[in-house]
Amino acid sequence: MSSILLHIAALLIAGSVVLGVVRLVLGRTLVDRVAAIDMLTVVSISMIALYAHVSGRFIYVDVALVYGVLSFLAVLAMARYLERGL
Amino acid sequence: MLEILAILLCVSILASGILAVRLNNLMAAMVSAGLSSLFASVCYVLLAAPDVAMAEAAIGSGLSMLIFLYAIRKTTDAKE
Repeated sequence: MSSILLHIAALLIAGSVVLGVVRLVLGRTLVDRVAAIDMLTVVSISMIALYAHVSGRFIYVDVALVYGVLSFLAVLAMARYLERGL
Repeated sequence: MLEILAILLCVSILASGILAVRLNNLMAAMVSAGLSSLFASVCYVLLAAPDVAMAEAAIGSGLSMLIFLYAIRKTTDAKE
């Protein structure tokens, strides 16, 4: 049962990576690309958490925490740039 | 299953690298380069190097994006 759930999670993560990269490649406006990279950051956090559970090394969850903080900062800086701030 | 995810990550790194070179808009090219750096650090985690991944995420995806933003802001005209 748990293995089936992990496979479903990996499939969902792979699908979201494909959708996000397609949006980033096709992206008509710049805001589309910024939103796509924000979504891909969240997807990669979930990917690292899944890998930490599968491999049984829970130190990888710390890497996911650092990712969460940094993605917040980067997207905040880009949003301020788009509003002619910075 | 994880091998498929790793191959997907590497293909995405390739695509975003080509996009970062080919795009004309500077800001969009910078976002693509940031995606390449982000997925490279996920690949470092999959290769069992979490400290390298943390440094790559802090420098490649966070700090260099801020510095590029500052440089683009300083070198382009405010009207365009």
